[in-house]
Amino acid sequence: MIDISVDLGKFKLKNPVMTASGTFGYGKEYADFFPLEKLGAIVVKGICEKPSHGNPTPRIAEVTSGMLNAIGLQGPGVEKFLHDEDYMPFLKKVNTAVIVNIWGKTVEEYERVAKRLDEEKEGITALEINISCPNIKEGGIAFGTDLKLASRVVSGVRKATTLPLITKLSPNVSSIPDFAKAVRDAGTDVISLINTIPGMAIDIETRKPKIANIRGGLSGPAIKPIALRMVYEAAGAVDIPVIGMGGITTAEDAIEFFLAGASAIAVGTAIFADPFAPLNIIDGIKKYMKRKSYSCLMDFIGKVNIDKK
Amino acid sequence: MPIQEQGKIIRNAELQDSYRKLELYAPGICAETKAGQFVHMQISGLRDRILRRPFSISDVNKDGVLTIIYKVVGAGTEVLSTQEEGSTCSLLGPLGTPFSLPGKDEIPVIVAGGYGAAATYLLAKRAESKGVMLLGARSEKDLILTKEFSDIPFELRTATEDGSTGDKCLVTDLLETIIREKSAKKLRFYGCGPHGMLMAMGKILIENGLDGELSLDHLMCCGVGACFACVVKVKADNEDGWRYARTCKEGPVFNASSIYYE
Ligand SMILES: Cc1cc2nc3c(=O)[nH]c(=O)nc-3n(C[C@H](O)[C@H](O)[C@H](O)COP(=O)(O)OP(=O)(O)OC[C@H]3O[C@@H](n4cnc5c(N)ncnc54)[C@H](O)[C@@H]3O)c2cc1C
Ligand SMILES: Cc1cc2nc3c(=O)[nH]c(=O)nc-3n(C[C@H](O)[C@H](O)[C@H](O)COP(=O)(O)O)c2cc1C
Ligand code: FES
Repeated sequence: MIDISVDLGKFKLKNPVMTASGTFGYGKEYADFFPLEKLGAIVVKGICEKPSHGNPTPRIAEVTSGMLNAIGLQGPGVEKFLHDEDYMPFLKKVNTAVIVNIWGKTVEEYERVAKRLDEEKEGITALEINISCPNIKEGGIAFGTDLKLASRVVSGVRKATTLPLITKLSPNVSSIPDFAKAVRDAGTDVISLINTIPGMAIDIETRKPKIANIRGGLSGPAIKPIALRMVYEAAGAVDIPVIGMGGITTAEDAIEFFLAGASAIAVGTAIFADPFAPLNIIDGIKKYMKRKSYSCLMDFIGKVNIDKK
Repeated sequence: MPIQEQGKIIRNAELQDSYRKLELYAPGICAETKAGQFVHMQISGLRDRILRRPFSISDVNKDGVLTIIYKVVGAGTEVLSTQEEGSTCSLLGPLGTPFSLPGKDEIPVIVAGGYGAAATYLLAKRAESKGVMLLGARSEKDLILTKEFSDIPFELRTATEDGSTGDKCLVTDLLETIIREKSAKKLRFYGCGPHGMLMAMGKILIENGLDGELSLDHLMCCGVGACFACVVKVKADNEDGWRYARTCKEGPVFNASSIYYE
């Protein structure tokens, strides 16, 4: 028997494959294609306090082996999310873990969003604190690239809710271990990484940036080696579970992240090309485990084979 | 309900100039298709590019054959033009909000530019009352499906910017003429083409106290409403007076009166 369930401390998932925030809408958009119950978890698009327009268009550009996006966190706001049929009421009926990605323009907004979700937490498995979105300008503060601010956001949210907390780190820092330790000390239960990496593309005919916002976050296969290195560093620095993501497209990609120390993984950009990618990855992981005679994920999580001199 | 289906290429041939006609065997999608919907295609053999490409469904038949008319404009369509009979590509579809068909007593007036003719062909074919097709392009070589529309039969009027055929004017000028000529009749307006043309068309309709259905196209990513890449401004009951709507889900067909004109 192969067991692919995973224990992330305060909560368990039936399998280690989740969808990355912002790439799977609020779940309902893909419900026509396959039963959402097959996923380990659904992570919804970032939720803040009030409805937000997001950025002007064009918001995306295709680049070699990846894409840039500057969606700018368009969303319904927390009240609509909790009560409109398309969002939480729909997700409550889906028999899998639901993780709500949250963001704010101030530390206080993060806390207020977390508190509202805590007050109506039925159906919510955990919160993922997005301190790393490169696409929101307001406030002018990058929470995810300042150790003190990152800690303040996490400890503020920690006080606002008893829900399990995942903190999503930014790749825009020189030391991932420092940030992993800081958010752990501030009370996060799990770490996830990486968010997109700021990039740029220019249309040489019009001489305009291909993204209205000038910069956009790079995602997809192009960032996988960077993401894998960062997951390896985070997992080596802290004992809390790490969720790995960044360019994962195949089961082989996912297995690399497990070997580097991730306890679970998220599939993002790959879903745009193939909505079935998460399911194919689950199947591929099982096949790998069978071939290697592994009975559970712990048999290979963090087991990258590095000779110690 | 949209599905994922492997479409098998039956024919992929030049239509005219840089336009090509692609026929795919995709019975599952064909059975569900409504006029104005699109497929999101993964082009096999397109290396290092990760996104699907959206194409309007131009026609479907009961044998499960789906037709797309496409223009070669970049890397993806270039590779698509080399795909041979028998090869397959993954399709998601049918996607998007379709046109609503005109009633029996209404005359459909379609305004199209470029591949917009392809996107409105199924609408014209399925309309119970036959109508008028106003087709515009830069020059004669960009006017596609003229015979097909005439054969439905639709009354065809053409406009080219260089005057190489039809009237030397913009297709929206033809629209203004029709509105004057047929003001006594019950007309239903539909449009598909370049953004500028559609915005001009929307404004003309509204100025004349009319409405219509416009099919907008936009850069797309997921194609199913999940990523918010493809948004356009529509009127909304909030302090700004507008919100961003997803072209792939709430569109591509929008009422002219719902669009927020800047
Ligand atoms: C709803 C909808 C229906 C469409 N129907 C048709 C059709 O029936 N016939 C047809 O010829 N074309 C149609 N298009 C446009 C078609 O999708 C693009 O021409 C095609 O994506 C170009 O791909 P490429 O790789 O050749 O170009 P590239 O420029 O190399 O593509 C780069 C990126 O830009 C995107 N892109 C480029 N041009 C467009 C465009 N005009 N619209 C949207 N995305 C674009 C591509 O999808 C890709 O992600 C439609 C677009 C939409 C949104
Ligand atoms: C279109 C798009 C929207 C995204 N929106 C969010 C978001 O709302 N919140 C968030 O934490 N991450 C967001 N991300 C980042 C992804 O969750 C993920 O961290 C990143 O894309 C790397 O994974 P991938 O290469 O598999 O896509 C978004 C990514 C994309 C491509
Ligand atoms: S393309 Fe993703 S929401 Fe329209």
